[in-house]
Amino acid sequence: MAEFALRAAGITRRFGPLVAVDDCSFDLERGEVHALLGSNGCGKSTLCKVMAGALTADSGEVRLDGVVTAFRGPLDARRGGIATVYQEMSLIPTLSVMENIALGNEPRRGGRVDRAALRAQTRGLMASVGALAQGLDPAALVGDLPVDRQQIVEILKALALQPRVILFDESTSSLDRSQVDAFFALVRRLKGQAVSIIFISHRMEEIFAIADRVTVMQNGRYVATRRIAETDRDELVALMVGGRRDKAVTGARVLDAAPMMQIGGLTGGRLKGVTTALRPGEILGLGGLHGQGQSDFLLALFGASPVTGGTVTLAGRPYRPTTPFAALRMGLSYVSGDRGRAGSLHGRPILENLSLALLARRGGIVANRRALAAGMGGIVERLKLKFGKLSHAIGTLSGGNQQKVILGRALAATPRVLLLDDPTKGIDVRAKEDLYALLRELGAQGTAVILYSSEDQELLDNADRVLVFNGGQVVAELAGERLTEYDLYSAALQSAA
Amino acid sequence: MTTAPGSAPTPPRRFDLRRNSTLLAVGLMVVLVAVNALLQSNFFRPGILLSNLSTFLPLMMIAVGQCYVVLGGSIDLSLGAIVSLVNVIVVVVAETVGGIPGVAVGMVAGLAAGAACGAVNGALIALFRLQAVVTTFATSIIIGGLALMVLPQAGGALPAAYYLTYGGALLGVPFVLIVLGALIGAVVWIAGTRFHTHLLAIGGNRQGAYQTGLPVARLRVQSHALAGLMAAIGALCILGVTGAGDPLMGQAFTLGSVSAVVLGGAALAGGWGSAIGAILGGAILGLINNVIFFANIDYQYQSIVQGVIILLALAAGIFVSRKPG
Repeated sequence: MAEFALRAAGITRRFGPLVAVDDCSFDLERGEVHALLGSNGCGKSTLCKVMAGALTADSGEVRLDGVVTAFRGPLDARRGGIATVYQEMSLIPTLSVMENIALGNEPRRGGRVDRAALRAQTRGLMASVGALAQGLDPAALVGDLPVDRQQIVEILKALALQPRVILFDESTSSLDRSQVDAFFALVRRLKGQAVSIIFISHRMEEIFAIADRVTVMQNGRYVATRRIAETDRDELVALMVGGRRDKAVTGARVLDAAPMMQIGGLTGGRLKGVTTALRPGEILGLGGLHGQGQSDFLLALFGASPVTGGTVTLAGRPYRPTTPFAALRMGLSYVSGDRGRAGSLHGRPILENLSLALLARRGGIVANRRALAAGMGGIVERLKLKFGKLSHAIGTLSGGNQQKVILGRALAATPRVLLLDDPTKGIDVRAKEDLYALLRELGAQGTAVILYSSEDQELLDNADRVLVFNGGQVVAELAGERLTEYDLYSAALQSAA
Repeated sequence: MTTAPGSAPTPPRRFDLRRNSTLLAVGLMVVLVAVNALLQSNFFRPGILLSNLSTFLPLMMIAVGQCYVVLGGSIDLSLGAIVSLVNVIVVVVAETVGGIPGVAVGMVAGLAAGAACGAVNGALIALFRLQAVVTTFATSIIIGGLALMVLPQAGGALPAAYYLTYGGALLGVPFVLIVLGALIGAVVWIAGTRFHTHLLAIGGNRQGAYQTGLPVARLRVQSHALAGLMAAIGALCILGVTGAGDPLMGQAFTLGSVSAVVLGGAALAGGWGSAIGAILGGAILGLINNVIFFANIDYQYQSIVQGVIILLALAAGIFVSRKPG
């Protein structure tokens, strides 16, 4: 029988009416790397926090080395041998690297922090992790470091107490390839020291590269555990989305309705004369390599990027928005995948985030909260949004659900044209499928969609027609039989030289 | 300069100037001392310097207390009221008990009351998660009311020995200089403790500090209690100058202490600053008052000029620290 470093049994944790983790069990063998996989908001992070003593469970128990844990808080858990490397950083930006690493356990001498010992201790720790900590200055302020370096400090902080169990919550998402390699080397070394590791990542190839076993969660529930050698990518995706995924149907349609939007020689910024037409209900995809003018095209149409030439007509009338506000009032909405920077009003209630565009389009001075909430009910349902209350801050939602709120905001204004700028960036398979199902539904109601995606497969699965961008121009228009991965790929690379 | 591929270059340190934010306060000090010396020819006479110091000390004390609270991401708007309460408690207790022992008992009672008021503030904020600004505004009204209960009207006096000691010398060293030395020593010592690092941590990222396992609530209560204690010490210094009870004594010190903290380079958002800076900030505010007094500005314009100078001093600090390093 395998020796368990950690066993969680029957864990349930609620946040208000929302059941984040529902009767979940999980076990971790000594010296294994156990991946935890599931869509955003499936309860992985909550389960991890319960196991690490940062949250208490409503029911269930966690055993560390066979002993039931009753941690009085995160530091207690860390001292007990469980360390967590959090996704949302636990670092203090205004303190130095070494102060952050030792926070709560500073070496003391005569009642004060022994800075010499602190420095030596930090250097020793950095040396022990190899390439990962190369070039890190222990005296630098954490707030001055780029995100990848901060993540490395976070990892060092977790290692400082020589834990027997470490939880890595999406620790690789901000690291580049060479840093990930250094990180994996570290993980293998820790394994050799019989440290047990829980590893959360959305990158499937990383899971196959480093994990021994994988447990899949869905909707706060335990789904299955597999040995990595005995499973494959398709099975894991199927487990995540709950059932075998149907072979992608080619949903591309040929629409014959009269165009609602005519774009002739649109120029400005990176754009060098883009001409096309958009029909009601159509999903027009923008493809090509990253940064070839796709975003500029969307932003120009939304009045957020300068236009120096060309004509656009909307429903037969000239359309030339100079601000996003004007574009909104003309019936266009824009959603970016970069929700942190471009989208969400952090800390504001979900309801406010949802109704922003509607309020802008409708005008008026006073907004009735109750009427708004009632009006949003339908949208919330169509989005399959998972949340506690509409009055909770948007920051309480998972990434995928936040993105749904941003999309819901655009939909609430019932746009004629929906501009989507890589809307699925950083969200999980499940949320993506919900989102695209919704787009098709919108199309049936006559809303036209212009979609840029950095993932070719998403364009192929969902667009009726794809314009391939290169250097600010449309180099190919793919539709019907030519809408294939091969054509998309070759058109994108065609004149890239 | 080229960087080897793969190794991320160290980013420019945005905080570099802020790191030395007390330097800005030192700069302001130098300018103000120069202006002051121009306007007041005998400024550098030891007697004048000491008399200035004895009037600046109360604000320095209170500002240091405010600074610890601000470093931890909180604020205390009741420090002025605490000064008033301590002021009248010391006087009333000293008169009731009588003599030199009365003064000693009064001082202890005052210090205890100050710390207790601070601790209550901290407990309300940390345990009931109330907002610091509103909570301490409310408690300032209550504490002010308590001061009026203890002594409804200005009056009462401490034995002459009290203010003679404060204005006198101990073993040939002026007493106020000893107090200043003790304050600086204490502040420097505290700056090296875990308490100080942890206070900066909860001010810099409270959620992160909690996740790390720091006793966030306890630290917040401690910092508020410390601020109350410092306000009480400030009140004792005021008594060293006035020697009399006044239930409205402290009012001006609340916002004065916040200004001193900011002038000293601390971030009101928390997590950044130093108590040495707050001491300098207190001195800067005192010097500004001096300059206005000796510049022969008409009484009715004084507060406008004072406000403008403080605004300029703040703007200077922010302007300089914003420049890319």
